[in-house]
Amino acid sequence: MKVDTLVIGNGAVALQAALESLDRGESCAVIAPGLSLEQTDWSGFVRRGGILLKGDRAEAASVSGGKVEWVRSRSLGPDAIVAGSYVLATGRFYDGGLVADMDRVYEPLFGLDVEYEKDRSKWFDPDFFAPQPFLSFGVRVDADGHPSVQGVTVNNLLVKGEILAGCSR
Amino acid sequence: MQEKNISRLNLEQCQKCSLCNTVCPMMAVNPAYPGPKRSGPDGERYRLKDPVFYDEALKYCLNCKRCEVACPSDVKIADMISEARLSYGHMSRPLRDWTLANTDLVGSLASPLSGIVNPVLGSRPVKYLMDKVIGVDERRRFPSYSKQTFEKWFRSEALEKQGSYKKQVSFFHGCYINYNYPQLGKDLVSLMNACGYGVRLLEKEKCCGVALIANGLGKQAASQARTNMSSIRKALDGKSEAVLGASSTCMFTMRDEYPHVLGVGNDGVRDSLMLAVAFIARKVEEGSVKLAFRQDYHRKMAYHTACHMQKLGWSVYSIKLLRMIPGLELEVLDQECCGIAGTFGFKKENYDYSQAIGSKLFSSIAKSGAGEVVTECETCKWQIEMSAGVKVLNPVSVLVEALDMEKTKELNSNG
Repeated sequence: MKVDTLVIGNGAVALQAALESLDRGESCAVIAPGLSLEQTDWSGFVRRGGILLKGDRAEAASVSGGKVEWVRSRSLGPDAIVAGSYVLATGRFYDGGLVADMDRVYEPLFGLDVEYEKDRSKWFDPDFFAPQPFLSFGVRVDADGHPSVQGVTVNNLLVKGEILAGCSR
Repeated sequence: MQEKNISRLNLEQCQKCSLCNTVCPMMAVNPAYPGPKRSGPDGERYRLKDPVFYDEALKYCLNCKRCEVACPSDVKIADMISEARLSYGHMSRPLRDWTLANTDLVGSLASPLSGIVNPVLGSRPVKYLMDKVIGVDERRRFPSYSKQTFEKWFRSEALEKQGSYKKQVSFFHGCYINYNYPQLGKDLVSLMNACGYGVRLLEKEKCCGVALIANGLGKQAASQARTNMSSIRKALDGKSEAVLGASSTCMFTMRDEYPHVLGVGNDGVRDSLMLAVAFIARKVEEGSVKLAFRQDYHRKMAYHTACHMQKLGWSVYSIKLLRMIPGLELEVLDQECCGIAGTFGFKKENYDYSQAIGSKLFSSIAKSGAGEVVTECETCKWQIEMSAGVKVLNPVSVLVEALDMEKTKELNSNG
């Protein structure tokens, strides 16, 4: 499937990115993995011709030469989604945007470079009410909002919302 | 390490957020139903300890899968409920449930006698008796049976011409097309032919089994699933590029329920099981199939995303193709459950729930002002035609009507 913009995420940040894409007169598809807790209202997006893959999951992606080439979803299977630009707004740990293993934190879809404390004992502050360091782990982006994979900037991908490093909301 | 912490059906991933409850159509109208969270992951913890905790109220689950679509943590809520019902549930009225579930057998008996069966099933005294004696609600309108099955028509009228196409697909027609509504199957054959594909039937086709699963006949469903999968594998090993269907529920059952609920694998062929509209939409985008539309076609329709269609995620293809039709004004309705849920809405004790669930959809159809509704699900069609009073079409039939078939045939004849 070819679209101008592919947004991955189900929350308010993803919705805003999707609506902005429609505002620009583009075709836009969204892979929305389930509902968000705040129950973002996607009906306007659908009415305006947006393509909503509700309850779908982005399962694989290809990044090469500083560009995302395609993203595959569980429902569309071999019909990879090829877009001009991509927006990743998949949230932090709870939403699955970031995954924490025993010894590392990673972004599971594109393998983007993630900023996090290497010493696991420093991930948490034992004082429950103190600011928790793990909440500001996230994807590192440049001044234009582009992330990188092993140091190579990915120019057709924007990363937004809580998944960003330092976003400790 | 991480993999070892992931339980079957993602049971342990449930965060108790209750988003599934907010989209459950049954919970909204029936206080006796504990809802997907309690029936699924919460109840499963107890059932794992001791099956005595199985709650018969799980019979109210429609298996619409809206909970799974809503779940941000990918918990297979409805699969858990289906599994529990198959393992521990009891049929509330065995004769009725068995008859409703065996669409294949009943269809093959009723079809040749359609001249008698249709008026009898439609008559008031018979409906009254069925209501009182076996528990099929008398207010429900039955789909009528066709005298000639689709398979018979295909073998006598269409089969011969199919060999002349270089490209081939197989067609899983399902019970509804075969016994009740062969016209849709005929439409599918002429649509695929116009797109340059010959159509063949599977060596052996059984009912997909969705009604058997819903009525607690898991063993029979699994045996039918194995028959279908072996025919499907044979077809794909042979000349067929894909196995196509027109009914969203049949395709959903074979793609998702076979491996998840019945334990019948579809590895390697999952991606070749597809709705015909999805297949064509992909080919059109690739540029290998071209469509020419009639200029004198003017309609206003509303698209209803059936619950299983939403779970499949393929409504995007149908909407895309329908929006290509120049004379079609299409309104995409907000996704709502129509309430019938296959055999569920035929049962006397469920009828009122069924209609209460559907009421939101019926009023949004009325508000849209559309003369016709498009959807891929046949039971949604029965429910909407009966309750909202508008004609319901499968997108395959809409395309056949809207296409300039001769021109389309020409465009695709050299492939």
